[in-house]
Amino acid sequence: MIPENFIQSNLQGISFIGPELILTLAILLILLVGVLLPYWRHRILFTILAVAGLAGSVLPLWKLPQPAPDLTYLSNLFVWDWLTFLSKPFFAVVGVLTILLTQVTGEIDNSEYSECTILVLAVTMGMMLLVASTDLLMIYLAFETMGILSYLLVGIRARDERSGEAALKYVLYGAFTSGTMLFGFSLLFGLAGSTDLLAISQKVAFASQHPQDRLLLIVAILFFLAGLLFKTASFPFHFWCPDVYEGAPTPITAFLSVGPKAAGFVLFIRLFYPLFATGHDATIYEAVSGLDWPSILALVSAITMTLGNLAAIHQNNLKRLLAYSSIAHAGYLLMGIVSLSDLGLRSVVFYLVVYLFMNVGAFAVVAMVASAGGSEEIDSYRGLGARAPYVCVAMAIFLFSLIGLPPFAGFVGKVYLFAAVIYKKIYWLAVVAALNTVISLYYYLRIVKAMFLEKPTETIQIQVPLSSRVLLLALLVPTLGLGIYWQPLARVVSGMF
Amino acid sequence: MFFDFANVFIFIILGLLMTFVIITVSRLLAPRVSDVPDKFTTYECGERPVGSAWILFNFRFYAVALAFLIFDIELALVFPCISVYHKWLKAGSGLFALIEIAVFVGILFLGLIYMWNRGDLKWTKEVPEEMEEGLVLEEEKPITF
Amino acid sequence: MLPDHLLSWMIFFPLLGAGLILFVPKRYPTVMKGIALAATIPPLWWAANLYVQFDRWGTGFQYVEKVPWIRAFNIHYYLGIDGISVPMVLLTALLSFICIIASWNINEHVRGYFALFLLLDTSMKGVFCALDFFMFYVFWELMLLPMYFLIGIWGGPRKEYAAIKFFLFTLVGSVLMLVVMLVFYFGSVEPATGLHSFDLTILADQSVHQAFLRSHTIRWLCYLGLFIGFAIKIPLVPFHTWLPDAHVEAPTAISVILAGILLKMGTYGILRISYPLLPDMAREFALFAATLGLISIIYGALCAMAQTDLKKLIAYSSISHMGFVMLGMSVFSNTTAINGAVLQMFNHGTVTAMLFLLVGVIYDRAHIRDIDSFGGLAKTMPVYAGYTGLAFFAALGLPGLSSFISEALVLVGSFQQYKIITITATTGIILTAAYFLWTMQRVFLGPQNKKWADLPEISLREAFTLTPLALIVVLLGFYPMPVLDLIGATLKHTVAMVVG
Repeated sequence: MIPENFIQSNLQGISFIGPELILTLAILLILLVGVLLPYWRHRILFTILAVAGLAGSVLPLWKLPQPAPDLTYLSNLFVWDWLTFLSKPFFAVVGVLTILLTQVTGEIDNSEYSECTILVLAVTMGMMLLVASTDLLMIYLAFETMGILSYLLVGIRARDERSGEAALKYVLYGAFTSGTMLFGFSLLFGLAGSTDLLAISQKVAFASQHPQDRLLLIVAILFFLAGLLFKTASFPFHFWCPDVYEGAPTPITAFLSVGPKAAGFVLFIRLFYPLFATGHDATIYEAVSGLDWPSILALVSAITMTLGNLAAIHQNNLKRLLAYSSIAHAGYLLMGIVSLSDLGLRSVVFYLVVYLFMNVGAFAVVAMVASAGGSEEIDSYRGLGARAPYVCVAMAIFLFSLIGLPPFAGFVGKVYLFAAVIYKKIYWLAVVAALNTVISLYYYLRIVKAMFLEKPTETIQIQVPLSSRVLLLALLVPTLGLGIYWQPLARVVSGMF
Repeated sequence: MFFDFANVFIFIILGLLMTFVIITVSRLLAPRVSDVPDKFTTYECGERPVGSAWILFNFRFYAVALAFLIFDIELALVFPCISVYHKWLKAGSGLFALIEIAVFVGILFLGLIYMWNRGDLKWTKEVPEEMEEGLVLEEEKPITF
Repeated sequence: MLPDHLLSWMIFFPLLGAGLILFVPKRYPTVMKGIALAATIPPLWWAANLYVQFDRWGTGFQYVEKVPWIRAFNIHYYLGIDGISVPMVLLTALLSFICIIASWNINEHVRGYFALFLLLDTSMKGVFCALDFFMFYVFWELMLLPMYFLIGIWGGPRKEYAAIKFFLFTLVGSVLMLVVMLVFYFGSVEPATGLHSFDLTILADQSVHQAFLRSHTIRWLCYLGLFIGFAIKIPLVPFHTWLPDAHVEAPTAISVILAGILLKMGTYGILRISYPLLPDMAREFALFAATLGLISIIYGALCAMAQTDLKKLIAYSSISHMGFVMLGMSVFSNTTAINGAVLQMFNHGTVTAMLFLLVGVIYDRAHIRDIDSFGGLAKTMPVYAGYTGLAFFAALGLPGLSSFISEALVLVGSFQQYKIITITATTGIILTAAYFLWTMQRVFLGPQNKKWADLPEISLREAFTLTPLALIVVLLGFYPMPVLDLIGATLKHTVAMVVG
């Protein structure tokens, strides 16, 4: 029987998913335009529509009530808290940057462009849904919306063999890990008899007292981890990352490295903190007794960053190098999750924001150089500093930021993460991460060295169009600005947890 | 409780053990020949494969099948709505439900039109001439063994 | 007429110049050089004023500026100077000015060179003025970026190797310092506000340290982390291997900055951070540090003796001389040694700057630095030989020149505490004299090498860079009080704090 106010409450709840609805409208509009006009022309039109859709999607956010941790809507499928509220604009920015990058570099053929914009919008929508979900089923649905469509995005260059290979690898890994995660969900459902995270968390606290249920919980946690570590490209589910990043069109690579990865980390917070951690004087959490997942994750974090950094040293393809670096950064980000404190959660969010700008920036330069006649190999960066100074200085700044040197934003992000683990007195992890920073310096500097210290092997003049320069500037400003004065962002993330 | 798992555990152990047993047995029993041509065929047992394993399917099958699948699912989702539509009418929200279903079907329909427009429903896809200029079609390489 | 916020002006004025240089069109390299020079003169003037006006009897920090920077982490924009900072700031301002003149013959990528140089200038002054641990760290790291490029782009044949080695070594130290910094942040609570703090003056107060920061293991590890970080910079043997490479490959002016200022940051950091924050550990580590200092003295001198490359010789002599600083700083039973150590920091800055400038002069002319390939240069370049002689004698500690006094103070002071170490260290002086005199003989005396018979004499510009340093060396050799009375009160306070 349907309750009287069911539809009424649903209608109210719909206003909370305004961003997603607007994105859906934008997708339909682009589809329609693709039908009515010759879709292989009018590239700029699709760009405008997509950017407008993404920009419009964040507008309804400010008309909604004040976020609160217990404000749920649509039959408790979603929650309206600060994490949701701030993640949605974040993903909109990710989408906008990806679309603009695709537009200025011309990486994707016109014949595939309209579909590319649609897919980027749709994945963005999936990510927005994911971060708001508090129900296992909804989480899985959103997770797969994000996942399946990003497989398509990777393979969007239908005629490129490597793109196809990358997509296939991504699909196989993705199917395996999300299946595993779903099994974990089903175990949890079997234990708690509910898919609502709040309801489950109460059962979990109770169940962890009993040894046999505890075993079940541990298995469930391990199965969750498969899906989450896959999305965030962490050990031991990182193998897809270099191949996929290399094979995918560069703007899409940039998108994957900040979008789904960030969504994965937000999901970490969503799943692990209510379910397997209990709040303790509001700033420190404790793992549910008997389930020592932070120790497992700390180990995963240390291995991930070390492995990513060591593997990156010998890469000559920049996209592969940045892929390994992105694995390493997943390791750094896990430090924030491990630290089980509000500071840790803040540090994850803070780092994701700065990582967005610096990593998209680095990939943007790679795409721009490749589209201006260079290649993605490190050799074509030899002596580029003299031929394309603006782009190379920008690249150097992004790389230094990725290393974590002041006065760039990446440094502040790293200070946050280090602070989080030191706050929890996990000193060994801090030292491992510190030494990893040194390793990472070496390979990032290989690029800087090629650009500025080495003599050019070719003399082709690299012309970077004005639109690309403006886009780079838009990424440089936060990378530098947040490194010098990050109090505004610090205030925002402090308000979240 | 833990004892229940022992069944599974024994099963796994047995499974692993069997693998080794079978390999060892066949190793012991099989004649050591290496110059028999059948040894190099796919199944190594005298059964000759018929035709090439790399048969090329027409890609169109997938496209049409996918489109069909989507509308199949649409049917599956709309059908339950119809069975309870009566109740919705009584609750006074019939129009709203109707619009919602229409939107759902409409979106899928738009997708169909999109596909149609792209020529994905035709057996041989035509690429518009002005678009073709920008494409570099690779030469088809014959698959050799 | 001095502006308000004197220290801020002094630190960031060069940065303004760097910003301006970026907008000068490429075809006016001389304008860029002019701007760079103009950007170093006011800081020098302000530093000189600072020197005159500094209250020599106060033990606290002067010219303090404190503004909240990042409230979320309780980080302050906090500047201030005491007796240890003033000579260092003065040295930095002076050497920056001189190095701009010495770099006048840089002709490729002029814009990049001078912009980066000024950025380096800013970060160096920042390190010496920062009183907030976080700010200190930011400036400390910021220094690496321009340095990497300055060595890597304008350096010698193996510049890439040298640059990355320098960067990697120093970063190891830095990240350890970062970890220790955060341990201190969370390990202390500012009594007035109840917040954690990066404020060095507050962290120095042992009563703000929380229970876990009082544990011996944590303190021991913290001190070790800081010590490694600073020892790499000083550099003490065995952390020194980056230095000969970096010095040899760097262009002249950058070698001057490296040896003259960057090395001092290691010892400055120990005085500013390690000692006040962890005085008990400073006592515990003193013997260890003194031993490392001794090893550096002897090892550096022996290595210098074996060198055939002039620049490498000076690089190793720097290791040896910085060993004296470390030895002097490890003595807490009297203030003589530590006064000598800080004086040695200043003196080594001037003397070694002269030495590198002089090597630069000969390298610009002959394009080699091989000691054995010269001979009888005193005949062709008498003035040059004169300057070099002065610098060499100063470096080997001839009485009447500045280094003699500082090394003597260090040895006299440390003899009271470490008898055997001090006696052994004295042999270092003999070795130093040996290799400098031997080099002198091979380069300037003996039969004239015809190949270099027509080398032009030192130019006016080069003489202009050397003369102020030479004057300081001679002046401080006769009368060291201008520096000693500056640092005395502060060091007395430091030693009292460490002894407890």
